[in-house]
Amino acid sequence: MSEIIKTKEFQLSIMLISFLIVFIPYFLDIPALDAVSTKLITIAALVNVFTIALAVSSLVKRNMNFIQRKTRGWYFKAYMLITIVLMLVFSMFGLETGPYHWVMFAVVNPLSSVNYGILAFYMASTSARAFKARNTKAALLLITGVIVLLYQAPLTGTVFPGIEPVALYLTDTFGKAAGKMFLISITVGALVFGVRVLLGNEPSVLGIGGKE
Amino acid sequence: MSNGGIWKTFAEYDRRYVYLALFIVVIGPLLSPIGVPISVSPSTRQYYEVINAVGEGDIVFFTLNTEFSGYNEIQSGIIASMRVFIENGAKIVIAVGHPEATSIPSMIFQDLNKELTENEYVYGEDYISLGYIFPNEAAVAALAEDFQGTVSQDWLGVPTAGTFLDEVKTWKDIDFISDYTTGLATTHVMNHFALRGTPMAVNCIGVMIPSSMNYLDTGVYLALLNSMRGGAELEYLTGHPASGLTAMDAFTFGHYMLIGFIVIGNLGYLMYTRKQTYGRGRKKQ
Repeated sequence: MSEIIKTKEFQLSIMLISFLIVFIPYFLDIPALDAVSTKLITIAALVNVFTIALAVSSLVKRNMNFIQRKTRGWYFKAYMLITIVLMLVFSMFGLETGPYHWVMFAVVNPLSSVNYGILAFYMASTSARAFKARNTKAALLLITGVIVLLYQAPLTGTVFPGIEPVALYLTDTFGKAAGKMFLISITVGALVFGVRVLLGNEPSVLGIGGKE
Repeated sequence: MSNGGIWKTFAEYDRRYVYLALFIVVIGPLLSPIGVPISVSPSTRQYYEVINAVGEGDIVFFTLNTEFSGYNEIQSGIIASMRVFIENGAKIVIAVGHPEATSIPSMIFQDLNKELTENEYVYGEDYISLGYIFPNEAAVAALAEDFQGTVSQDWLGVPTAGTFLDEVKTWKDIDFISDYTTGLATTHVMNHFALRGTPMAVNCIGVMIPSSMNYLDTGVYLALLNSMRGGAELEYLTGHPASGLTAMDAFTFGHYMLIGFIVIGNLGYLMYTRKQTYGRGRKKQ
């Protein structure tokens, strides 16, 4: 029996059936199938949550190994494991007050904000130095970029109201066209990948890659 | 000054000058706000009209798909939008898409304590916080199909039975989705709620605006509030100036500074390359 379960065909069949159970109710109104679909999605959500526990378990095992072998930077890994345990313990004393609340507000939130804020310096420096009119195409990009940047500064619209239609034209035409191109490419790619998985051409998804 | 003269210095200025200039133009107006006038963009007006159309008793799914870091950028839009919903008497369900964001709802309610008191909002009766319930797409899908079966308690573990959430069975029972995002589960919320017909408006961070605008065109989003600037404009429209409008001084000068550096860099590049070409030409003669 276990041999049958381990076969690629069996696993693909389970995947295909699960896919159809969830996929068909989007197009056909079959109450019985809809109920099964809802139940299956809820089960999937719960199973997914348990993967967090699995991830923590793997993380602990892997990092304990590094710590025991005293590899380079092992103390950072030890620090990480200590903070994981501490947050777990702190959360047991309540979320609205107590140590968990303090760590979130006094440590996590400020560090997260600083991390994000620092990006502004890198982005400003990189864009300022990379925006060079080295040729005609780059010059066009530069002009467009400067117009949109000017419009993005809130004061500009009040001083030069005429900039708004120009900037909106640029974003509504060229900007959106490029954005749509990326979105459509990603979507088509995802569809193709999905079909390949269902046809068994992507066995790595089932964790059986290379065994065939 | 480098060997290539002033133009080469302009073309290849050190990044630390940018850091220093940005630090000055940001810290100055924050310490001493100037209050530069701002223009309100059409997208913000549209967003305000959409959220202001939410009426008394409507159930609003207020989804914070942001880490704490991203919250700083869209905080003004979040607070201003929440104020509109409270003043309009909507029933608000808050959910978050990142563990860091679990502390954000209490901060929002702290900021809007006056509005909550004035409008006699009671936790459980008029608003409820569900915490981190969007760990993945399956969770969002389950919520859309079977709300009661997926969520049965709030973020503190208190059962939601007996609250206004009893009315919410599937995606059809949500009247409006107001999403605040740096990415995360917004696509899932869109897939399982908005694409089926739940009205949805979004406030996203700056880098997400170009991709999000496409969903506005297709009608999946009813409105889009653009980053911190959109939040500041919403504060202006609602007549409640706060952190967003304060930040607009630094926002404006930061943009002008960046344009200044771009102009200097290009001027230096143009003059330096011209000088080099001209110099080579003269040597040949």
